[in-house]
Amino acid sequence: MKLLEYEAKAILKKHHLPLPKGTIIQKGITPEFPLPAVIKSQVPVGGRGKAGGIIVVSKSTDIIPTIDTLFQLTIKNHTPRVLLAEEVIPIKNELYLALLIDRDVQEIQLLAHKQGGMEVEANHEGFLRLPLTKASLPECSKKLAAFFNCNVKLLTPLLKSMFTALVTSDATLIEINPLIATPNGVLICGDCKMEIDNAALYRHPELKNHENPDSNFVRLDKNGTVATIANGAGLAMATVDAVAGIGMKPANFLDIGGGATTNSVLGAFEKIMEFPRIEAIIVNIFAGITRCDEIARAIIEAKQAIPHLPPLFIRLAGTNFEEAVAILTQHDIPTLSTLEECVAAVKGVVHE
Amino acid sequence: MNSSLLLGQNVIVQGITGAHGSFHTAAMRAAGTNVIAGTSPNKAGQFVDGVPVYNSIAAIKKDFSIDCSVIFVPAPFAKTALLEAVTEQIPLIVCITEGIPIHDMLEVTHKARQNNCVLVGPNCPGILIPGEQKLGIIPTHLGMPGTVGIVSRSGTLTYETAAGLTERNIGQAYIIGIGGDRIHGVGFTDCLALFEDDPRVSSIVLIGEIGGKSELEAATFIKQKVTKPVYAYIVGRHAPSGVQLGHAGAILSSDTESAKAKTIALAHAGAQTFTSITELVKTIK
Repeated sequence: MKLLEYEAKAILKKHHLPLPKGTIIQKGITPEFPLPAVIKSQVPVGGRGKAGGIIVVSKSTDIIPTIDTLFQLTIKNHTPRVLLAEEVIPIKNELYLALLIDRDVQEIQLLAHKQGGMEVEANHEGFLRLPLTKASLPECSKKLAAFFNCNVKLLTPLLKSMFTALVTSDATLIEINPLIATPNGVLICGDCKMEIDNAALYRHPELKNHENPDSNFVRLDKNGTVATIANGAGLAMATVDAVAGIGMKPANFLDIGGGATTNSVLGAFEKIMEFPRIEAIIVNIFAGITRCDEIARAIIEAKQAIPHLPPLFIRLAGTNFEEAVAILTQHDIPTLSTLEECVAAVKGVVHE
Repeated sequence: MNSSLLLGQNVIVQGITGAHGSFHTAAMRAAGTNVIAGTSPNKAGQFVDGVPVYNSIAAIKKDFSIDCSVIFVPAPFAKTALLEAVTEQIPLIVCITEGIPIHDMLEVTHKARQNNCVLVGPNCPGILIPGEQKLGIIPTHLGMPGTVGIVSRSGTLTYETAAGLTERNIGQAYIIGIGGDRIHGVGFTDCLALFEDDPRVSSIVLIGEIGGKSELEAATFIKQKVTKPVYAYIVGRHAPSGVQLGHAGAILSSDTESAKAKTIALAHAGAQTFTSITELVKTIK
């Protein structure tokens, strides 16, 4: 789960990391803040500056028009609900510092670059990479201070706080870009991207109001013509691949999970009815723990409960497959034996 | 990892009294696995499918030696269970649980390496050696004894492959689900080495997906070390970038982690690659 800048900074603040003084602006409520100030759109995407989502305001008469502009500005399909006004920090130079989890070596990794700012992702060279553990913090602080050419007494507490924030918040990424070095020789976290592990949200009630994307139901194309329902992430991806592979537009990825029940299948049908252009639905189930007969009963219920359900192309295999086919045949619902037969049949009915 | 480790005789189940733990304890025993005991806090003295329940692994060790633990403990308590198994130096630990926080797994995999424990999973269906051993939840009837080694990140695609082969009367020596999480134990290369070294294996199936670099490492390993035919399928060819698809690990964060890049790497390494399980299953001899 990606946090917004102001949410990420609230976590950094809790861990005493140096931040610009800031004020949150909600729609219709304009708090007072000192000028000049930089006002930033709070959207969960990069490239805000280039898109016009970050504006410096020096005159009090400019505050309201700037706020209005930013609230109306959509950046990469996101319109902000909140803005962040911050003091303007004098810049000597901009650095880049991130902590992340490297899945391939199974370690926390420190990633740093001497030139922070907007273009850092385009730099493939010049990164300092260090594996980071609690024990290696002092040593890594020294190496990082040498790399940044700044005071180790400044970096040691900063890195330690950042590491603690990563671990205690169950973050998978904390990226500070820019990390501003000021002319006074102070370091300040200019911007922050933070990602929290979805699996750990149960122990972070403070984030429970955050809109958390559902990884088992992913919208791929709002104009998609073929909806997919499958069980298991791999099979659901394979189903999307098969639809796209034959030149059709899959609307969604949907994994109803192991041990699917009548209710979860009904819920799945309801979810895919939000796509306006669906002309066919593929149901691809390989039942291990799941029982095919239960899926079959749910399909019949869905057909009765949801009016104008697009035609179904059903492939069932595994546990209780014969019972399922018998149930569906009774209701004149045909089944196909492979995913490939399903997509070939769908190709015949969908208008592209 | 070798076959004797996977065929270890004395198996315990952590979380044996839960719905999944008790159901699959019975299924594992029916498949021929020697489940000697299980753990569940505060339920010592009970029996599940005739198997005695203990409070802790330490308590079991007073009565039995342990070769393997299969873990069904819910995610919030899984770290404690895993660390208990690691501390007790259980040689093989198979963790079925889905949804364990990544920082918990960082700690667990680190300690497992220190203690020389082999971990399979988490978020995996486990291991089935048809006719001999079942450690996890792979439905027994999908497999039949034979010579194909299957390794996969996806549970359902593992089932698809095994069932497709069994239908064609082609048996399997190993069916191993390594799990869909970002941080996990045994990987593709460990399984490829097992299959290459075991003379009972004649061909290998590798099923990967988007996210991470493990299929690329597998490709390098195949090129350097594997002489047996490898049949590979990578799922997620049409996955959008930066979006998690079901598995915590199935997230495309760079082009090198894409299904296409992985498929190309495996093909260059000498594997035969496919765009569907149906085709893959048809081709294996």
